Amino acid sequence: MKSEFLEAATQIEIDSVQKWKQNGGKIVGYTCSFMPVEPFHAAGILPVRLRGITAGSMEISDSYYGPFVCSFPKAILQLAGTGHYHFLDGAVISNGCDTLRRLDECWRKMGEDIKGSVPPWFHYFDVPHKPNGHAIDWYKNQVKKLITAIEAQFDVEITASKLKTAIKNQNQVRKLLWELEKLRREDPVKISGTEAYAAIIAGTVMPLDRYRDSLSELIEDVRTRKTDIGKNKKRLFVGGSVCDDFELVSLVEQSDAVVVGENVCFGVRNDNDRVRETKEPLTAITEKYLSGSVCPRMMGWYKQRAGMIIDKVKQTNADGVILQNIRFCDLHGSENGLLERDLDKSSVPSLRIEREHGPLTETGRLKMRFDAFVEQLVTSVSA
Amino acid sequence: MRPELKEYNLDKLFAGTFMVARNLGSSTPGEIKNVLKYTPYVGGLLGPVLATGKPSITFFDLFYDYYSNIINAEENGKKVVMTTFCFDPSIFYAIDNLVPVTLEIGTALTTMLWKRGSSDFMDYCTEIGFSETGCSSQRGAMGAYLAGLGAKIDLVALNMGGVCDTNANAYNFAAQYLDIPYFGLDYPSELTTEEVREYHHKDYRGLINFLQENTGCKFDINRLREVLEEKKKQDVLMNEIEEMQRLVPNPVPGIYHIMIYAARYIYSGKKKFTKLLGEMVDVVRENAKNGRSGLKNGVEKNRTFLVYIDNYALGTAMFQWFEKKGISHMGNILSRTFNQDAPYTTGVPGTTYNIDTTNLDTMIDSLADINARMPMTRTIRGPYDAPNMWLEDSLSLAKQYSADCCLYSGTPGCRNTWSNVKLLSRDLEAMGYPTHISYGDSFDPRVETWESTETRLEEFYQIRGLL
Amino acid sequence: MSIVAGFDVGSLTTKAVILKNKKIVGAAMIRSGPKPVESAAKVMEKLLDETGIHQADIIKAVGTGYGREKITFIDKAVSEISCHGKGAQWLIPSARTIIDIGGQDCKVIRLDKQGKLVKFITNDKCASGTGRFLDVMAKVMNIDVSELGKLSVKSTEPITFASMCTVWAQADVIKHINSRKSVEDICAGINTAMANRVAMLTNAIKIENDICMTGGVAKNAGVVKALGKLLGCRIKQIKKADPQLIGAIGAALFAQEMALKKVSSEAA
Repeated sequence: MKSEFLEAATQIEIDSVQKWKQNGGKIVGYTCSFMPVEPFHAAGILPVRLRGITAGSMEISDSYYGPFVCSFPKAILQLAGTGHYHFLDGAVISNGCDTLRRLDECWRKMGEDIKGSVPPWFHYFDVPHKPNGHAIDWYKNQVKKLITAIEAQFDVEITASKLKTAIKNQNQVRKLLWELEKLRREDPVKISGTEAYAAIIAGTVMPLDRYRDSLSELIEDVRTRKTDIGKNKKRLFVGGSVCDDFELVSLVEQSDAVVVGENVCFGVRNDNDRVRETKEPLTAITEKYLSGSVCPRMMGWYKQRAGMIIDKVKQTNADGVILQNIRFCDLHGSENGLLERDLDKSSVPSLRIEREHGPLTETGRLKMRFDAFVEQLVTSVSA
Repeated sequence: MRPELKEYNLDKLFAGTFMVARNLGSSTPGEIKNVLKYTPYVGGLLGPVLATGKPSITFFDLFYDYYSNIINAEENGKKVVMTTFCFDPSIFYAIDNLVPVTLEIGTALTTMLWKRGSSDFMDYCTEIGFSETGCSSQRGAMGAYLAGLGAKIDLVALNMGGVCDTNANAYNFAAQYLDIPYFGLDYPSELTTEEVREYHHKDYRGLINFLQENTGCKFDINRLREVLEEKKKQDVLMNEIEEMQRLVPNPVPGIYHIMIYAARYIYSGKKKFTKLLGEMVDVVRENAKNGRSGLKNGVEKNRTFLVYIDNYALGTAMFQWFEKKGISHMGNILSRTFNQDAPYTTGVPGTTYNIDTTNLDTMIDSLADINARMPMTRTIRGPYDAPNMWLEDSLSLAKQYSADCCLYSGTPGCRNTWSNVKLLSRDLEAMGYPTHISYGDSFDPRVETWESTETRLEEFYQIRGLL
Repeated sequence: MSIVAGFDVGSLTTKAVILKNKKIVGAAMIRSGPKPVESAAKVMEKLLDETGIHQADIIKAVGTGYGREKITFIDKAVSEISCHGKGAQWLIPSARTIIDIGGQDCKVIRLDKQGKLVKFITNDKCASGTGRFLDVMAKVMNIDVSELGKLSVKSTEPITFASMCTVWAQADVIKHINSRKSVEDICAGINTAMANRVAMLTNAIKIENDICMTGGVAKNAGVVKALGKLLGCRIKQIKKADPQLIGAIGAALFAQEMALKKVSSEAA
């Protein structure tokens, strides 16, 4: 595995982030994949996906968030409260879900108690729960507001031309990510899910140029590999709640399995998952980010989502699907119930599992379930 | 689900119960006492409501109407639409062949009327794949409908996207499970801007199209006008009750709150709700005229404002406990309508709604505005400390109603409020309002029994010197 | 002659079974210690001592349970789910749905008639619906957990427990004791509360007859009866072996398969 991808996947403040700051660069954190990164790139700002990995406890976030809520935003808040996000010059909170959108006020409130824990700039990006009609206009307007706010805060100008360049650059990365996805689907399998997922996560926190070059190198390397990581292993697909922790993928792979694809809020959906370069930038950004629902927050679009997921599962030739949700994530928790039913109708075995976000203290419990699922998929477990 | 439960149709049980209950108006006190003796669980709701006098019979009659509409829907060639409590049903009553059923009302009733509450139905939802941590307010009745123990549901229409994921998610699950059409009104995180008003209006028109397509029926404009004009009358009556509630002592019986909001969510725009309100206004006026408290023992020791919902986990136990302790119930998030003439409005533009029945467009816009200000939809859609959101609303209402303290009661499934209730509570305390957070489930006593909840309430009121 | 062993390192107890020519010749169970390897070694020692078999005679050994991978003297680690399924169907060939309620978790397993694992579901939330719930309640009542079943069958008016949470339910038990409710009725209520949780899990997996139970809680007649009633099905009881040993028996059966495969590949 590339060391910088491993670093990016396992740490919050990585080497490239430090160098970016040392060179006077600005960094803005964001919570949700519905927020477009292109305006930030156009402004010369590094957008960094906020994650909760390495949060060892929750005593700070528990002071603001109540119980009975998903531990993912709580982990982010905990890290912010303990100074791990000190390098941020701003943060954009989106209404990915109720718990995540409340990170806005919880963080600000924490800032009253823990000085310096709130970045100098906070912006709320209001994403509609529909991908069509008047929601498109709303989203487009939100992007305009975001651009205006970035320009005002960081004293920059985001021109249409800069935006187009940012779109093009980001699309190059998306194209590479899609190449990686295609490689993962091949047989023999030349890249483990662990390695691939670490690379995917790294793309949300590393500077674009550096990431693009490293990803290209990885892809070339994978193409030349002679290994077969998937030999005697079951091919699994992982879906469900946001997963910013590649250790989960790694844990799955410890059960004689290889993860060949995911639908967990990171990475690219398919070959068309790009911002159209021939269209007016804001319109193109709106279309890409709002369309093709991958998230159960877009209620009413389950059928399209299920169809897309089942197609993806089949294209990866997965033997089975792990449908995980973070405890209290009802959006995925319930959608997983529907997906389980529909995967069953498509003769694809699945395992529904609930987990806590954070350091994998439940590894024993989870591993037993993954082991059993793989055993279910093989005809015999004898050596 | 226990096999024997599959013998009972939930809607028919409710219809039957209320059919009998509404006839109690002509019973003697002795006869009512006997009825309650033989209905220990149902009596938990019937008894306290009957004690309110004339409005109680209208209340039972209203509920009987509502449930008999549901059970006879198919036979009468009508479609049943599943919706949520904070979606104003007036629009449904403007369509000839549509009958609404509201899950949260069904859950509350099942919880209050049955020995085991709605736990079997809640568990059934988990059995069929729904998340167990989802809000109990939908799960109770939802389990019954998804098990085929209620009316056949033909479509789902509600407003919740953007305000309460858990709520919208439950309805979405139901729609997918039953494979029926679904429409959700979306709510951005702001309330008063022109942009959001336009969004609401466009979104509502999307709903209208959806309803027309899926019922095969056009809107009867005159009927819609009639429903909205009736709603105007209801707003006037509710405003009067709200206004009188500001008096010390509060002349409004605590149980009126649940009677009003429960009836509003299912029968807004219908004449029986107007009748109910009218009868209640008479009682409250009489109390007010005589300087009498709405509490049965007449002694008001404390005025408590509930920042969220009530607790239904053991019939009307919470209301009875308030009565016992001399605590005036000053309403909750479910009580307020935010029509423009309501006494608690702040005059800030864009925060209230106005009903304009001039033409179809104005009526649709009015409905969109009403829905955008329904409980929760208005108050918890944006950051709690944003203008006109939860903190401001709570502070303003607590002040207007001279509350002595605040109480939060909800469900563990409420990700929305549990993500910021500590912040709210902190700010309310800082502004001088002792605030208690109840960790129970308003619809599921298995999470925390009423006895435990009561013990904690006792502690709070005692330690903070509130009684 | 093939001698194989199976180990099940659980949270509360560690079990071992030896099969000789496909028959159980010895079984042992001890209280689990904090280190699974040590627990497995201890129970192995006890079993070898009781049976007079030497470790070197054991051709293959399979381990299951939460500490399975740490056991150094096994040939393979297999999940409890597969082992419980295997063991149960060996003892009751018609078994298609196996409900295993252990100390810390609860699993429902579906097998087809060839013994292949079709589907399984486990509890993910908390202790209610696991043996831990019964342990805690028995402690509050100051009785041995094995008494819960025996007492409950004499109940005439079972208590309905309001709370499903292990922590809050203790307060409920104390309340009922103070209200002078009979021990039998309280025990019946505890068992039914447990059965309710398990029934919900079981119904999520589309059960198929015959249903049987494994794990320590299978010995609680009250839970078995209540669960059967809730599911509307008869639960077949495993009589040929202690239900707590089923995991270890299944592990031993897997070891047996491995041994047979080894023999046939050597013969070939």
